[in-house]
Amino acid sequence: MIKVENLHKSFGEHEVLKGIDCEIHSSEVLCVIGPSGSGKSTFLRCLNMLESITSGQVTVDGFNLKDKKTNINMVRTEVGMVFQQFNLFPHKTVIENIMLAPMKVRKLSKNEAKERGLKLLKKVGLSDKADKYPSSLSGGQQQRVAIARALAMEPKLMLFDEPTSALDPELVGEVLEVMKQLANEGMTMVVVTHEMGFAREVADRVLFMDEGIIMEEGSPDVIFSNPTSDRTKEFLDKVL
Amino acid sequence: MEGRFNWAGVIDFLPELGTGLYYTLLISIIGLIIGFILGAIFGLGRISKNKIFYGISSIYIEVIRGTPVLVQAIWIFFALPLITGYNMASVTAGIVVIAVNSGAYIAEIVRGAVQSIAKGQVEAGRSLGLTHNQTMRYIVWPQAFKRMIPPLGNQFIISIKDTSLLSVILVPELMFQGRLIASNYFNAVEIYTTVAVFYLIITLTLSFILRMIEKRLDVQ
Ligand SMILES: Nc1ncnc2c1ncn2[C@@H]1O[C@H](COP(=O)(O)OP(=O)(O)OP(=O)(O)O)[C@@H](O)[C@H]1O
Ligand SMILES: [Mg+2]
Repeated sequence: MIKVENLHKSFGEHEVLKGIDCEIHSSEVLCVIGPSGSGKSTFLRCLNMLESITSGQVTVDGFNLKDKKTNINMVRTEVGMVFQQFNLFPHKTVIENIMLAPMKVRKLSKNEAKERGLKLLKKVGLSDKADKYPSSLSGGQQQRVAIARALAMEPKLMLFDEPTSALDPELVGEVLEVMKQLANEGMTMVVVTHEMGFAREVADRVLFMDEGIIMEEGSPDVIFSNPTSDRTKEFLDKVL
Repeated sequence: MEGRFNWAGVIDFLPELGTGLYYTLLISIIGLIIGFILGAIFGLGRISKNKIFYGISSIYIEVIRGTPVLVQAIWIFFALPLITGYNMASVTAGIVVIAVNSGAYIAEIVRGAVQSIAKGQVEAGRSLGLTHNQTMRYIVWPQAFKRMIPPLGNQFIISIKDTSLLSVILVPELMFQGRLIASNYFNAVEIYTTVAVFYLIITLTLSFILRMIEKRLDVQ
């Protein structure tokens, strides 16, 4: 589904990603962990071209992102993204947030989009919030709406950038629950997270990033119980 | 003081003042509509990645903001025809002055409002597959427009007051009529007070309308 080869990314002089190689298969759940500033968000954002790629190859669902002929909007319709700060549209109701892209990009009729939106709201447990504005929702509810909004495009792949980091601790569970359900349904997911419990339980593979490279990768069992790299051990000692 | 001023006599001049009011409103409304269009275009120019568009927008905004509106009016009415060889009617010139002047200030308002919309909003739109234009149209503009309303209202009021300077280029607006009457009938106190009250009524009405709009938009 995704193939990343020797990905480099610099902001001006500052090289943030220093050669990332990685493959993500269909229906796989990949969790990315690592210290702050190691380049996790940048890596994720390169996968849907929110950041331009400095050098290397990234292929997503058969599209070569380096190729100028690739229609980036087409790629993005297949790649959902959920942000740390939710980024719901504050001037639109919950259902309008969800309906916008299916109508404008997928050309669904209003009724079709609404039907799809309501189904997704039911799925994330927010059927009663359809006509509310985002500002009247709790952080956990907003993030669940954001997930529903991304799913409304019926993407093949979902990217999550620390989806629970901005939430009060008591609201984290409801969002992780929705993500778990998605994983169980076979969604391909790349999740940057500090929730080690979630990574351990849901991930098929965990990737430890440090200073712009992938230091270590493997099954959650191996990474959390038997890490080979000292840096991984050090990091896990700090966060666990 | 009783009897020194003939306030009742002002009524005789209402037709002339009415004509002045008509031109003041006409020039304000048409000038500001064009000014808003100019402001939207050059405001987007100021955030454009296109260097030429950005450059032209910047020069326009800096030149207008850096010179007095009175100089602009006189330049457009008296100097520009000597360059172009084309004489403009004073009312047309007045509309051009208000449009070009307010456009520069409105451009800065537009730029500020668009830039105040969080980057995350654009990223959320683009990550859903919306194009740049769709993201601007459905996500950035509606939010930015709401934020523009208070400073736009401010600018509208300033521009309406600026129309009084157009009397120097012979636009038959309110101030021009006032000066004409006062110099013929020596009733400066009564006429200029009435003129001031007319301006006040226009600006207070506009303030009131704007406050209603703001309130309505905040309900969401
Ligand atoms: N747009 C940008 N311009 C310049 N530097 C940037 C930009 N975005 C990120 N960086 C830098 O790139 C480095 C990696 O940032 P990134 O956000 O990818 O880290 P992260 O692993 O996601 O960290 P965190 O856990 O804090 O979210 C940081 O040093 C950051 O300052
Ligand atoms: Mg990050």
